Amino acid sequence: MDCRVKAGSAAARARKPAGTAVDAGGETETSLYEVRQKIYPRAVHGWFARWRLVLVLATQLIFYGLPWLTWNARPAVLFDLAARKFYIFGLVLWPQDFIFLTGLLVISALSLFLFTAVAGRLFCGYACPQTVYTEIFMWIEHKVEGDRLQRMRLDRGPAGAAWFGRKTLKHGLWIAIALWTGFTFVGYFTPIRVLASEVAAWSLGPWETFWILFYSFATYGNAGWMREQVCKYMCPYARFQSAMFDRDTLTITYDAQRGEPRGARSRSADRARLGVGDCVDCGICVQVCPTGIDIRKGLQYECIGCAACIDGCNQVMDKMGYGRGLIRYSTQNAVAAKQDARYMWRRVLRLRTLIYGALLLGIVAALLGALYLRTPLKVDVIRDRAALARETRDGMIENVYRLQIMNTSEHARRLTIGASGAPGLQVIAAQPVAVAGATTRMVTVTVRANPADVKRGSYDIRFHVADLDDAGLRVDEKSRFFMR
Amino acid sequence: MKRAMWILWPSFLVGGMAEGIFFSMLDPSDLNLFGQPLELSRNAIYTIGFFLFWALGALSSALTCWLQQGANTAGAADG
Repeated sequence: MDCRVKAGSAAARARKPAGTAVDAGGETETSLYEVRQKIYPRAVHGWFARWRLVLVLATQLIFYGLPWLTWNARPAVLFDLAARKFYIFGLVLWPQDFIFLTGLLVISALSLFLFTAVAGRLFCGYACPQTVYTEIFMWIEHKVEGDRLQRMRLDRGPAGAAWFGRKTLKHGLWIAIALWTGFTFVGYFTPIRVLASEVAAWSLGPWETFWILFYSFATYGNAGWMREQVCKYMCPYARFQSAMFDRDTLTITYDAQRGEPRGARSRSADRARLGVGDCVDCGICVQVCPTGIDIRKGLQYECIGCAACIDGCNQVMDKMGYGRGLIRYSTQNAVAAKQDARYMWRRVLRLRTLIYGALLLGIVAALLGALYLRTPLKVDVIRDRAALARETRDGMIENVYRLQIMNTSEHARRLTIGASGAPGLQVIAAQPVAVAGATTRMVTVTVRANPADVKRGSYDIRFHVADLDDAGLRVDEKSRFFMR
Repeated sequence: MKRAMWILWPSFLVGGMAEGIFFSMLDPSDLNLFGQPLELSRNAIYTIGFFLFWALGALSSALTCWLQQGANTAGAADG
């Protein structure tokens, strides 16, 4: 694809000024990407719509609620960028634990691959924030402006007081939700109770204000205005998902063998005599589609797998007294072989999913193991560079070190410091060293040796930092000791 | 507008990635600007850093778009 804006679309825009009604589907509006047919999705009820609602509620309950939870008298989940510490319930991650975040990202990516290979775009249809916020914003739109036909009439009618009132109310509610979302987002990086009191006192810092507004604007724009265009033109996942699909991947499928030839008929008509399939060509599947496609043309990359068309079609099939599932979740192989769910279940385990699954399990196990074995104590030894060694008044040789001790757990520790590597090493420091929870402390340590016991030269020594109250916890760290 | 999005959107994604990788390895308070320590809060540096990465990504995308037009049309009135 090249970057030139197609002359054709520019000409089309010139021919059809924004706001001109072109067909029953809606009006054209000059959008960010192309001349876009504004989509007025029809509300749909049914099994999948209910599941989506459950997931919208669950994900939002977690997203809006999590920053308010408290753990050990601090927010349970806090990505404290300013202090460079991430708190996730009982876990405190330091910059040194970067590997765990990387691992988490790899796990997320692999899970997405696995889910996509097995069940297509389940994530897109139910849990993607773009879907979730669009769903919330559309629900508000539906409540304020009415159903699909009422909304189309409102947009085509004159911009009177009623129009103005409804539009103001809708955008007002959208902006309120967007602001709350932006506030919550920043609440993951600044303790949300502090943030709330700052908002209430009108004393929010400039960076926090900026990011709240930035994220709110993104939410408002994406869920209110861009909607399906984000999935169609902006989402990288939508473009590379086909690499994870195969003939056994669950997708929204229109059973053309059963449906065609489509055509309108009365409820009592005999299909066999008329020579028509089960599709009554009512167009509900197209009207409910949030990306505005016709699933009967086959699988298209715009399909986000939301199953709104399945719910819509099943309602019609029920009314007609036909069996459900003219449009259903199925796989290419199952449709071709006219097989049922049992066949699909059997084919879930195949080379591709086994490889994804094994990789996923391996990485999860490795990460959990590493997390379990992680020592909550880290020590860095820095030699005093000013003097290699000095002689005390009573003829002993001293080296000076600085120990940076990091207590990555949340409770305070009392530590002892010892050294070994040369005969008769003495450690001189104020012991035990107290280090508060989740802090770093710099301790100056002097190591002393008697020239009568230790010959001239340099020695590899080890510092041993041990917890007084936890016998199992000891960290050894290397350094060098110089006898002049 | 379409071209603006082609330039701004991928660079936003890449800017976010660069920000994450860069600042998870480097502490902003360790950074020096022309030999002077930066006298800004960490959050300020994160924010400025993000926009810097975004701008650099956008510059790269813009160059790609520009070069892709080919030598013959480059410099033409409407590109």
